[in-house]
Amino acid sequence: MNRPKELIIIAVLISLCATQIVFADTDPIESFIPKVAPEGWDLREAPETFTRETLFEHIDGQADLFVRYGFDKSVFAIYRKLDTSADKIDVDIYDMGNSLQAFGVFSRFRQDESPANIGLDSYMSDRYALFYKGKYFVILQATESNPSALKRLALDIESLILDSSAPPQEIGYFPKSGLKPGSIEYFPDGLLGHQFLKRGFKASYVENGEQKIEPQETSRIKDFRLFLAMFKSPQEAIGALKLFKENLLKKGKLAKTASARFGPEIVIGTDPYQGKTIVAQKGPCLLGAVGFAQDEAGERLLAALMREVK
Amino acid sequence: MVARRRRTPNLRVIEQFLISDLIRNDVDRPKECLEFREGESMSTEKMGRREFIQDASTAVLGLAAAPLLNANVSFADAEKTAEVQYRTLGKTGLRVTAVGMGVMNCSDPAVVARAYDLGVNFFDTARRYMGGRNEEMLGKVLRGKREKVLIQTKVVLAQNEKENRDAVQTSLRSLGTDYVDILLVHNLKTAKEVCSPAVTEFLQAMKKEGKARFTGFSSHTDMASLLKAAAQTSCHDVALVSYNFTHSNDLKDAVALAAKSGIGIVAMKTQAGGYKAADMGGLSPHQAALKYVLTDQNVSAAIPGVTTIEQIEECAAVMGTDFSRKDSHVLQQYDSYLQGRICTMCGGCIGTCPHGVAHCDLLRAFMYHDGYKNDQLAHEVLRTGDAMQKIGQCASCSSCVVTCRRALNIHAQLKTVHSVFA
Repeated sequence: MNRPKELIIIAVLISLCATQIVFADTDPIESFIPKVAPEGWDLREAPETFTRETLFEHIDGQADLFVRYGFDKSVFAIYRKLDTSADKIDVDIYDMGNSLQAFGVFSRFRQDESPANIGLDSYMSDRYALFYKGKYFVILQATESNPSALKRLALDIESLILDSSAPPQEIGYFPKSGLKPGSIEYFPDGLLGHQFLKRGFKASYVENGEQKIEPQETSRIKDFRLFLAMFKSPQEAIGALKLFKENLLKKGKLAKTASARFGPEIVIGTDPYQGKTIVAQKGPCLLGAVGFAQDEAGERLLAALMREVK
Repeated sequence: MVARRRRTPNLRVIEQFLISDLIRNDVDRPKECLEFREGESMSTEKMGRREFIQDASTAVLGLAAAPLLNANVSFADAEKTAEVQYRTLGKTGLRVTAVGMGVMNCSDPAVVARAYDLGVNFFDTARRYMGGRNEEMLGKVLRGKREKVLIQTKVVLAQNEKENRDAVQTSLRSLGTDYVDILLVHNLKTAKEVCSPAVTEFLQAMKKEGKARFTGFSSHTDMASLLKAAAQTSCHDVALVSYNFTHSNDLKDAVALAAKSGIGIVAMKTQAGGYKAADMGGLSPHQAALKYVLTDQNVSAAIPGVTTIEQIEECAAVMGTDFSRKDSHVLQQYDSYLQGRICTMCGGCIGTCPHGVAHCDLLRAFMYHDGYKNDQLAHEVLRTGDAMQKIGQCASCSSCVVTCRRALNIHAQLKTVHSVFA
């Protein structure tokens, strides 16, 4: 007799979860602004929403960057400290369409790495907190140093965002050894400053970087970069590699010998702006290392990246 | 001479520019390009040069030998193709390259380095771009070159002075410099704001303290009114405004007025973008659009926003070239493409509908549907206030008296929107 009851309860729970998932994606963005502020703070003004056509009124020309990353809509709110009229925290929550684009714009804003364990990834300083969760990118800016209130508010916002999308899988392709913390970035176009590379990821590495690098050390350590450019087809990737080669021939230097280690479609040379360069094609991707001093270091990490890209 | 008072869109008289109003480019490269020349008259230098463009051949620039970033590769390895053209930035006396770089969305140091390599000496950024990373990146690339470049940054004025001072100080720290050449107040919206004490007192203080050599403002909306207001005072040295071939003569006249008063005019949004080349049969109007802006000698510099090496090369190559018949043809094609397609928000139709409909707001829905192919954006426009109701009203109106300067068939477009989205 109890079995049907159990089934009914399970069915109700499942339907509640399903409803929650659906609502997670359809909650109005305004609902992510906590109505209850951290202790000693107050939500003073009604949240303001922005669309693609009005975002520039809020953040001027910077709106172009968000639009390039697929910006859909955003909400803005101000929290003020109760004991002083001057201290405030500005909150912007951006719906970027998907987690790749949210990560992308997050990666362009964060500085080095100062994680706060909020969302899928985060960055925090005494006046500034950034994180992304699912398709949402969140910025909190305080006028004065208020790290505890900043973090409390960020955590409150995070708890209201129910989007459980995973981070972009490509982040995991980049080898950890020598990776500068917080240096992986996603570009929707113009990767490495080249139109022909289109969209993809870039990460910075230190040579001989087997040991862990402290965030405060990153600015004085010379680095080089690994990149992953993604195309619609292998043919398109080969076409871009050809353009890469032409660019090196025209503006830099093209090495006469090519390593067979990375397959037949490979370009090695020196780019006048990026330094030593090695680029190889794998399926619909171009993978490369630029700016390394020792060939071995660049090739080793490129090989590691290549192994991960299926 | 071309008629100074035109009621029609600028493109319609481009041919006249070609025969009577072309510029001669300043091809000299002054040693003291960054020096302030007291008492120098910008207007006499810039405005007295309405001659035919000489067929300037492409010159090879002197090569900078500084090592680049971490690449340990000389700038000299890079190919040089552009001819550098300088103009005087209003009463500041600064000699800026006619094409500067809008650094805003760029995060690859190689692009800034390439711009420098091409001779570009004017870089525009702002504290808020990428949470400060944009300024940091620019500062790093230009390290060791500070005296050879001009940096313009912006501050969003907050309510209290401390916050504003902190913002400027943070900008200087990020840029790795003790001063910026030009400090702008971000995005002023009304003529009243232009010379409000809050704006002018802060900017004067920054100048007095040596944090900014010159100051001014930027604006995206109602720019003609703001420029006219600024021209009546001596509050500002520089104005950064949206300016391209689709804008009305009201703005062109306001730019002339402001320039005559000594304000250095910097043009942004010069490409009138929005439509992709692929949608226009491969037509790429970017160079032509940039040249068009620079034919106006009242514009000291244009700062197209670039994110790739290819883009800055394309833009820099405009310097030292003339506005040709081909450019005219390209822009006419582009304009034809835009004509009947987009509303440029010139405001010319505001107040002309007896029923009080603000058509330019509603026409964005058509632009998103037809141009951007993005019905989601169109829906957003239509969700605003009573937009859908007004469009329905317009679609059924049999006596539309609203006319568009850009020959937009407003009635037909709104009918289309209504039939698609109603």
